[in-house]
Amino acid sequence: MSTIDLTPVARPANAEPWKRKDRSMVVAAGLAATVPALITALVTAALGWDPSVTVMAIFLPLQLVAAGIVGVRAYGKRGIAEASLIVVTLLLTALVAALLLSVLWSVISAGAQTLSWTFLSQNNVYISPTTSLEYGGVGHSIIGTVLIVGLTTIVTVPFGIAIAVYLTETRGKARGAIRILIQAMSGLPSVVAGLFVYSALIASGITQYAGWAGSLALLPLMLPTVARIAEEALRLVPAEYRNGALALGAPAYRAFLQVTLPAAKTGIITAVLLGIARIIGETAPLLLTTFAANNTSFNLFSGSMSSLPTYLYQYISNGNDTSTQRAWGAALVVLILVGILFTVARVFGRAKKATSKSLTKANNARKAN
Amino acid sequence: MAIATASALHSENVNVWFGERHVLKDVSLTFPSNQVTALIGPSGCGKSTFLRTLNRMHELIPGAGFGGRVLLDGDDIYGDGVDPVDVRIKIGMVFQKPNPFPTMTIRDNVLSGLKLSGRKTSDADDLVETSLRRASIWTEVKDRLGDPALSLSGGQQQRLCIARSLAMDPEVLLMDEPCSALDPGSTRRIEETIVELSESMTIVIVTHNMQQAQRVADQTAFFLATDGNPGHVVEFGATEDIFERPRDSRTNDYVNGHFG
Repeated sequence: MSTIDLTPVARPANAEPWKRKDRSMVVAAGLAATVPALITALVTAALGWDPSVTVMAIFLPLQLVAAGIVGVRAYGKRGIAEASLIVVTLLLTALVAALLLSVLWSVISAGAQTLSWTFLSQNNVYISPTTSLEYGGVGHSIIGTVLIVGLTTIVTVPFGIAIAVYLTETRGKARGAIRILIQAMSGLPSVVAGLFVYSALIASGITQYAGWAGSLALLPLMLPTVARIAEEALRLVPAEYRNGALALGAPAYRAFLQVTLPAAKTGIITAVLLGIARIIGETAPLLLTTFAANNTSFNLFSGSMSSLPTYLYQYISNGNDTSTQRAWGAALVVLILVGILFTVARVFGRAKKATSKSLTKANNARKAN
Repeated sequence: MAIATASALHSENVNVWFGERHVLKDVSLTFPSNQVTALIGPSGCGKSTFLRTLNRMHELIPGAGFGGRVLLDGDDIYGDGVDPVDVRIKIGMVFQKPNPFPTMTIRDNVLSGLKLSGRKTSDADDLVETSLRRASIWTEVKDRLGDPALSLSGGQQQRLCIARSLAMDPEVLLMDEPCSALDPGSTRRIEETIVELSESMTIVIVTHNMQQAQRVADQTAFFLATDGNPGHVVEFGATEDIFERPRDSRTNDYVNGHFG
């Protein structure tokens, strides 16, 4: 019997046979991807038509036909269906991406000129709609937004998680009713929440405009988001883990706190984040409950308070050029706040991996014996 | 580490319902201390359900119903005022699918039972080593106790789950098809572990594997459910009698592979 040579051999260049391509197909695909766009561009330039018209009337049919031809060459009849699916999917994706990017771009391009340290740190006292951008800013609104949204978050998150726990971990009889209620709540128009708090607390004379009234008005808007996403997160934890804990003699509350909750941690952080994102830009409820203010206020419990959305509203409704610029600036600051929040949560929410540190610790513990 | 003495377990006329459906009828079995008992039978005959009644995991299923008695050293675990949490501390369970806690390290998984039941140990390191040794996985994991439990292979995960149960020092260990998801090598190691463990505890194991029952079990019970009737025990006795001299023709057919 001959010996088998087991020395490893260097990977050959053609180790991916599934990626082999017929040269003529590559050329055809390249033509199909470029020719329709070129023709559309030429027609648009030559006739001076609106690009949105030529894209719909010339580019789309041409691209479908071109992709269809290549598809039929490659796969026969089914190539037509595959090619159309690819073209339509890509087009719709591009449409959504274009919408999203244009919103982002318009806020960033218009807001960037306004952004400065002064704008971020100063408040609105002694500032009129025509005051130049060298003076005044959204410092007081950032503080207001952080305080009002912070208070709402602190109050809402425990409630939201408690509802999610009731819906997933118990066999309570009211689960169906609560689930319907939460769904109905998520359709509540924000202005109605604001009006309710306004009429119940402010019009009735219980309190003046105050930050906490704003937090209260935001609560029913944030609660359904947190509860529903946290419910999903808890539902995704396999029952085997909870059963494993219960079989070890764990009371239900410990099984939840030490096994189910840690396993759902990332999902619950997402729930809180999306809840915050849901309310951070709300304007109507805050106009009705905290109103707007020019001075910096740290007091959530009395006096009107500024927030980024109400500041934006204050200036965008003015119509003056510098006012509009300030409004764009405020919009950009809201976006940046949300961006910071998401980044921080992603970093903290990442699943914990065993670090070399914890390894060494365990090893040392072993050696000590 | 003090090892608890094994206890005898005894079921008297255990009946189980799911909703209105009667799925298990009049199961009376005796599990003598330090013996391994195998529960065999075709799928859906109620043997896993019966196993879950032995440490009160059964009642966690919505719509579950129960009748009869289960005695641990003479005390009814379904008696008035008995806390299911205390029952499950004394009667441990290993599941069909390995289920180490995903957010914990190997070491924390072994100690999880103590933490979850709110107890303390004077020497955690010693308990970790002893438990992992008894589950015969110590040499494989001793250098990586801080790794996540999910970094282990399926067979290792199952032995970690056994170690996790052993750290609670149970009097009885219930195993629900513990090897059905494992390769032959891991299966053999777990079977050896079962035989060693029976020196210090009573073991009840559900298995679909006839050879496994013959290799590990002192006694065997054959469950059967026919055409919508509740499952029941057809034959119960010493393992060699069940496999070599079955009294019932259905037992004979099943253990010889004629059906199921």
